[in-house]
Amino acid sequence: MITEILWWFFAIAIVGTAAGVVFSRSVVHAAIFLILSLAGVGGLYIFLTVEFVALVQFLIYGGAVTVLILLALMMTRLDATGAPDKLTGPQAPFGALVGITLLLTLVGVSLATAWPGDVDDLPTNITIEQIGDVMFTSYGAPFIIASALLLVAFIGAIVFAKQEDEV
Amino acid sequence: MSFGDAFFGISWLDIIIRTLIVVIAMTVVVIYLTYGERKVVARFQMRLGPTRTGPAGLLQGVADALKLVVKEDLRPRNADRWVFEFAPYATFVPVFLVLLTLPFAENWGVRNLALGMFFVFAVLGLNIVGVLMAGFGSGNKYALLGGVRAAAQMISYEIPLVVALLTVAMLAGTLDLNLIASLQGDRPFILVQPLAFVIFFIALLSELHRAPFDIPVAESEIVGGYFVEYSGIRWSMFQLAEYAALWGFSIFGSVIFLGGWNFPFGSEVGVGLQLALTLIKSTLMILLIFWVRATMPRLRMDQLMSFCWKVLIEISFVLLLITGFFLYYNWPQEILALVNWGGALLLLTVIFIRTRRKSEAEDLVGTYKNIEVTE
Repeated sequence: MITEILWWFFAIAIVGTAAGVVFSRSVVHAAIFLILSLAGVGGLYIFLTVEFVALVQFLIYGGAVTVLILLALMMTRLDATGAPDKLTGPQAPFGALVGITLLLTLVGVSLATAWPGDVDDLPTNITIEQIGDVMFTSYGAPFIIASALLLVAFIGAIVFAKQEDEV
Repeated sequence: MSFGDAFFGISWLDIIIRTLIVVIAMTVVVIYLTYGERKVVARFQMRLGPTRTGPAGLLQGVADALKLVVKEDLRPRNADRWVFEFAPYATFVPVFLVLLTLPFAENWGVRNLALGMFFVFAVLGLNIVGVLMAGFGSGNKYALLGGVRAAAQMISYEIPLVVALLTVAMLAGTLDLNLIASLQGDRPFILVQPLAFVIFFIALLSELHRAPFDIPVAESEIVGGYFVEYSGIRWSMFQLAEYAALWGFSIFGSVIFLGGWNFPFGSEVGVGLQLALTLIKSTLMILLIFWVRATMPRLRMDQLMSFCWKVLIEISFVLLLITGFFLYYNWPQEILALVNWGGALLLLTVIFIRTRRKSEAEDLVGTYKNIEVTE
C-alpha cells in the first residue's frame, strides 16, 4: 500500500522534473531538474530492490555527470542579463526526429520483449557479491574494455588541459 | 535485537522516532561543536575563547544560533530566486542522509544498509550539487567562482577518499558499516591500514572544507566563497551542514578505522558504553581535525589540486593494488600492516619536509608560471 503511494509519488516526480528539463527557460535550471529526475529514477531502482544500481545511479548520474554539466554550463553560458533562453531553434526538427525515433524504439522494445518479471511480481534481490562475481568472470572483457576507454578519455582530457610550455 | 526489529512499536513510527533522535542529537552536537572548535583553537593560540555567555561560555553556541535565526534573511536582487533558496537544503540533505546509516552502537542506528559505505559515497557526490547551486544562484561572479572551486576540490578529493576506504572494505569483505565495526573487535583497521587512514583523513579534511584545505570558505581571503551572499537562517543552514558533516564523518571514520563501538582489543560492552566509545573515538577524530586546523597554514589552489592528483591518488591506487595482492595470495596481514606503516610514515615525513621547505616565491604572484600566449 505505502509502496504504491511512494511509487506514484516517484513516478509523478520523475515525469514532472523531466518536463522541467525540457521546458525550463534557463539551461542551468534544466540541469538541476535533470539531477532531480535522475535521482528519482534511482529511487525507482530501490523499489526494484536493486540497491547497488540505485546507489550507482545517485553517484554517477546524480552526482558526477550532472555536476560536470553544471560546471561546464556555469563557466560558459552564464548570461549576465538573465534573459530567458529560447526553447526552439533551427535544430528543432532534428531534435524532434531523434526524440520521436527514440520514443518509438523504446516503446516498441518494451512492448515486444517478453520480460522475465512477468512470471511473478516479486523482484529478485541481487547482492553486490553476485554482481562482482559476474562482472569479473563472465563479463571480464567488457569490463576491461570499458576501463581502457575511460583511461583513454582521461589521458585525452589531460592532454587538452595541459599547458604547452615545454614544446 | 537487530536493525530490522522495530524497537518503538510499529515500523514506520520506529523510523520516525529514530530519525528524530538523530536530528535532536545532531542539533545539540552542532551547537557545541562550534563552541568546542572556538575553545580548542583558542587554546592552541594561547587565548581563552568564549567565556562570557554562560558558565565558561557554554551558552555561546546557543546565543549564536538565536542570533542567526532572528537575523535578516537577505536575497540579492539579481539572484536566481529558487536556486538561491533551495541551495542550503541541497547541501544539508546529503549530509543528513549520511547520519541515517551510521551505527552509533552495535545494531543501533536509524537503518543499517548492506551497502552502507557505498551509500555514503553516493550521497557525498550529491553534496557538490548544493555548493554549485549556491554559487550559481547568488548572481555574484565571486560566489560562482567560489562554488566552481569548491566543486573541483570536492570532486578531486572524492577519489582518494573512496579508494582509501575501499582498501579497508577489501580487508573486511563487506560494505556493511555495522559488520565492518564488529569485525574490529580484536584489532581496529587503523593498525592494519594506517596509510589508508592517513589518505582518508587528508581527503576528509578537503571534503569537509577544513583547514588547511578550506580554500572554498577561506574567511580571511574570499569572505565565504560560494555562500558569500547568504545571511541569517540560510547561512546557518550551511554551517549546520558543515558541522553535521564534520560530526557524521568523524563517526564514519571512527567506525571504519578505529573500531566504532568496540572496546579496544576486544571485550564485550553494553549499549551505553558502546555509545560512549563511539562518541569518544569520534571526538578524537574531531580534535585531530581541529589540531590540524590550528597548526597548518592554508594551501594555495594549485598546490591543493596537484597534491591530490599527483600524490594522493597514486598512493591510494598503489595501496589498493598491494592490498589486492595480499588478499589474493593470502599473505599474512602483519606484513601488509608493516608495508602500510612504512608507507604512512613516509607520506607524513614527505609532507613534513615539504611544509618546512623555504618558499621559492620571488614576488607576490608566487610560483605561478607566466603563460606566454602565442598566436
